[in-house]
Amino acid sequence: MTVVERLCAPTCDVLLARASSGSRDHDVVSARLRSQLAARLADSLGADRRRHRLDAFAAELGPARFDAPFAWSARAARRPIGTSVARDVAVGAMPDALSAAASEIERLCDRAHRGLTRRGALGAWLAAAPSATRALCAVEASTWAERLVRLVEPTHDGSVAVGIPDAWFEVPGTTITLQGRLDAALRPAEGAHLGLLRVRDGLPGARAADGLVVDALVAALAGRCPTRMLGAWPDAGLCLVVDFDDEAARRAARLLLACADALAAPSAAPSPLEAVAA
Amino acid sequence: MAPHARIVERRSDPCRISLARRSWLRTGEGGGSAGFVTRGQHTAFVTPATPAATDLLGSLRGTPALRPHVDRGLAGGLRAWLEDGLFERLGTGVTAPIVRISPRLLGSGPPVAGTATARLRGALLVQLLRLRVAGLEPASPFEDAVAALGASGRDAELVSVLADLDIDDRSRLAAEVAAHHTVLATTLPSLPARWSPRCGVRYAIPLAGGAVVLRGDVDLALGASGGSRACVCLVDLTTSTLGSASDATLAYLALLETLRTGEQPLRVAALSTADGATVVREVTSELLADAVELVLDAVARSAAA
Repeated sequence: MTVVERLCAPTCDVLLARASSGSRDHDVVSARLRSQLAARLADSLGADRRRHRLDAFAAELGPARFDAPFAWSARAARRPIGTSVARDVAVGAMPDALSAAASEIERLCDRAHRGLTRRGALGAWLAAAPSATRALCAVEASTWAERLVRLVEPTHDGSVAVGIPDAWFEVPGTTITLQGRLDAALRPAEGAHLGLLRVRDGLPGARAADGLVVDALVAALAGRCPTRMLGAWPDAGLCLVVDFDDEAARRAARLLLACADALAAPSAAPSPLEAVAA
Repeated sequence: MAPHARIVERRSDPCRISLARRSWLRTGEGGGSAGFVTRGQHTAFVTPATPAATDLLGSLRGTPALRPHVDRGLAGGLRAWLEDGLFERLGTGVTAPIVRISPRLLGSGPPVAGTATARLRGALLVQLLRLRVAGLEPASPFEDAVAALGASGRDAELVSVLADLDIDDRSRLAAEVAAHHTVLATTLPSLPARWSPRCGVRYAIPLAGGAVVLRGDVDLALGASGGSRACVCLVDLTTSTLGSASDATLAYLALLETLRTGEQPLRVAALSTADGATVVREVTSELLADAVELVLDAVARSAAA
């Protein structure tokens, strides 16, 4: 697997050029790889009837990364809201990110008040929260969306799509869900290769490229196979570009399997993830 | 001359303002109960009355036609200068330990960590700034700030400190926050949404192969990058009075923004809610060069320590 490039403070044009410049003449996620991955995941966690979600975070940091149950906060809510905000701003449906965030929060609260959201959903939390919390969520989401929009500068020609949904893949016969985090799709021209971009906080870690190929693999399993996967860390002004080729797909599959093995036998040492990394 | 008139005359220099006002309060020339929130004078200095509004936003905006053009080569040059300087100071053995530089490490003296209460006050004021950016006019500043801090998903340590405060300390903190918020509301009355306000913008710039990380965060960023002219303004909010360290912090933040986006910001500003003083600095190549020297000195000190 190759990290093609490490870009400092890239402009949108540079990102677009890098996203589409990979080459490929066949499907890297073959039917064989797909079926083998599903079978091996079923072997590891098939007997466990609890619901498991495997994603790039789990592949990079290990499956047991949270020591407290999930609870909504402005920080957790900024990306779900910010995704809609970025989409609205990109298509010109709203004049600015802050207005778009306020509108989206109002919509979510309205759905909750009409009983259209399930318990524990973001809308239910926002509807029950004080106005100060909702205002804070609007600012956090608009800041998040501005960051994405400034990075890729979406245009109306369709070359850049922001606010795209994450990739999800339910492994057949198991309770395992694979999640690929996606924030923008870059395709400079009709028929050009597809590049997918994902944004994260902070600094890229030592295994950042592993997380990128896992996101790319899940996107491919979900029907959006990229030629290149781009990871942006706006706090650091950095972007990593990874070729998603046969080798990258196999490595991503191995990482997911190691993650499932670590979940199945949490006390086993050494960690299967470390073995894959080595 | 009346004390008030003397203060207004000196507004252009924030350090002198605070010194003048502090000495006036100590000598009791102003009379009344103005000054510190508590009798024991162990809380931070806050302004006794609503200060005269300084047009901070007007200063930041300036005249659009006179804004400088973005220098696309500047960020690369600064990065190269930093990398060369780090290599000279640290040599090749910089794989460990990682040096993290933050604004409080820029001074030549030993870094002073604020007390938990002071940090809590600062965090609450930052939440109030965010609420104001969202267009919410807090009816009860302290309660709204506490609700926002609790829901932020960050600063869990400060949230627990807040929960552990006894009723006296909590009341004292509430009075302080309300006083600081009055100053904030006067200095930043409203922020147009079309200025693209962003709150809590974080920086983590790796250098020397990740052995040195420049960290920082800006409370408020305004304006959009990507144009031919610089238009991003950064605002640093503090609940203490402004001093010489403020200039270093502003230069450092301007450097981080330049390295992160590849474009130098237009202006950087510091706003003290202790006395309403503001400092606005134009971002020039000289300011950024000063910041590079500050960073290199701070890295050398940290590495030696």
